[in-house]
Amino acid sequence: MDFSEIFVSAFEAIRINKVRSFLTSLGIIIGVASVILLISLGTGLQKSITSQFERLGTNTLYIMPGNIGEGAGFAGGGGLQTNKLKFSDADLIERNVDNIASVSNGVESITSVEYRGEKRNGVIFLGVDAEFWTTGAYKLDSGRFFSKAEDSSAKRVVVVGKTIVEKLFAGQDPIGKQLTVRGKRYQVIGVLEELGSVVGQDQDNIVIIPAETANLQIGFDRPTWILISAASSDAISQIQDDVGELIGKRLSDDEFSVLTSEESLDIAETILGVVQGVFVGIAAISLLVGGIGISNIMLVSVTERTREIGLRKAIGAKNSDILIQFLIEAVILSLTGGLIGLTLATAASLAVRVFIPATVTVEAIALAIGFSALVGTVFGVFPAYRASKLEPIEALRSE
Amino acid sequence: MNVLISAKNLTKKYGEAPNETVALENISIEIKNGEFTAIVGPSGSGKSTLMHILGCLDKPTEGEYFFRGREVSKLSDNSLAEIRNKQIGFVFQFFNLLPRTSALKNAELPLLYAGVDKEERHSKALKILSSLGLSERVNSTPGQLSGGEQQRVAIARALINNPSVIFADEPTGNVDTKTSREIMKIFQSLNKRGNTIIVITHDPEVATYASRIITVRDGKVESDKKIKRRK
Repeated sequence: MDFSEIFVSAFEAIRINKVRSFLTSLGIIIGVASVILLISLGTGLQKSITSQFERLGTNTLYIMPGNIGEGAGFAGGGGLQTNKLKFSDADLIERNVDNIASVSNGVESITSVEYRGEKRNGVIFLGVDAEFWTTGAYKLDSGRFFSKAEDSSAKRVVVVGKTIVEKLFAGQDPIGKQLTVRGKRYQVIGVLEELGSVVGQDQDNIVIIPAETANLQIGFDRPTWILISAASSDAISQIQDDVGELIGKRLSDDEFSVLTSEESLDIAETILGVVQGVFVGIAAISLLVGGIGISNIMLVSVTERTREIGLRKAIGAKNSDILIQFLIEAVILSLTGGLIGLTLATAASLAVRVFIPATVTVEAIALAIGFSALVGTVFGVFPAYRASKLEPIEALRSE
Repeated sequence: MNVLISAKNLTKKYGEAPNETVALENISIEIKNGEFTAIVGPSGSGKSTLMHILGCLDKPTEGEYFFRGREVSKLSDNSLAEIRNKQIGFVFQFFNLLPRTSALKNAELPLLYAGVDKEERHSKALKILSSLGLSERVNSTPGQLSGGEQQRVAIARALINNPSVIFADEPTGNVDTKTSREIMKIFQSLNKRGNTIIVITHDPEVATYASRIITVRDGKVESDKKIKRRK
């Protein structure tokens, strides 16, 4: 049997019923487009999360309130429990644990800032110790970071991100100007290098003040996290154990967690993976529905073309010839839908790139093509089998 | 002349008792190579059922059927498909051409299932269509052809595999009298060149083109006589 002829006649059959074929493929188009878009969004988010962690380096550990991590699940984790960490824990660790380069408290929140009557909401608010700068997570574009002395004396100084400079200072040098944070005026002493956005969040829309200032001036009495930098990456697990033991004297196991940056990344990726899995699963249901649509229309087509099937059989088509002909038609319907869906998803992921670095991977493309071919085959088999089993005389008799 | 078709005690029943209907009852027929036979009878006589069995489109309930000396009544669907493809040509009342498909492609369709390559398919189909006076119409689709032209394309399709026998089921049932005569002339000339032709018809006029008339009534052979063929 000449396959090129089968393809020609399959395309012909699809072309004749243009509108019907398009509507049938629509389920597959929507299904594939949403699956691919969600996968590419997930891939993009994962990349940006990874790069975020890489910025902090592999020599770091985080202490967080609550029990986060393997075994504990996410539901019982962190933020839902009362934070029992203390600012003094940082000093305690620095004094008692070996191989430590630096320890810094951090408080995190969202705030609004104001300059000359112009207000900006939703700004990332960070309070950190002076030691935090040694991690290299943030670099300066101009000005300076605050000193240990400014921290311990709770000075009202602030380092700002590029977005703040652009939006509130109209791109003018803000150093020395007074920025209002939570109702109090802070002197701008430094501007951060541009970071771009991660997970759709503008990382340059940020203000950083000393942790002690956040404590005394604003009332953050507990650290959101404590960041530990190890002297070398070999010491990571020893530090993790020692810190766990040290803090464990005061707090129970489920009141705090010590995570290496690798573990934190794992947790972030796992959460992302679960969320992505749920959404992709929902989108995959539309592929299933699309497949049923193909099955349905192929059954209609078999009925409409009963005489044609009878004729083909009368002149020598074997059951397998008819089966292959209708199966190929179903696969072409589905595959065409898949390719259109893939094109739409690629266009959409390019469009959202401004906000989220969505990436259509080779794997996603292979998945789209493979999956739509599979759907066409699975849902095309039954109608094609029905066609192949028609008795030639019955088929010729039908009007 | 050697025997092409030899059917012994063919019986075809439909349905289960007590609603059983007998379409054919103990029919025995022998047809030799090169004969031009007309199977006639009123509708419901069983002549179509007989043609379906002789044409390997259907299997008898009882009896034996030897086609070119081979018992075919118990063969699988695929084996029957192959016999239909290589040994039998069909011409139907409603032409049964593929719509929106050129005369050329319609004529070469049996070769497609025979696994013949594209160039050979084309050249064979062109040759046969030309011999039937359709060389100008090879690229036309059935919708652009007259009834007579469509039936000639169907005849080309039936001839393309150089079959042992051509079955024509009411080939003139859907065309006017003039075209009907043209078509029967074609069968006659094909027969003169050695083709075995079996025409199924209810029209006594059509039957006069044959050299043998088998009359079927109530599932039985009523008469079987040689006639002098019409010129």
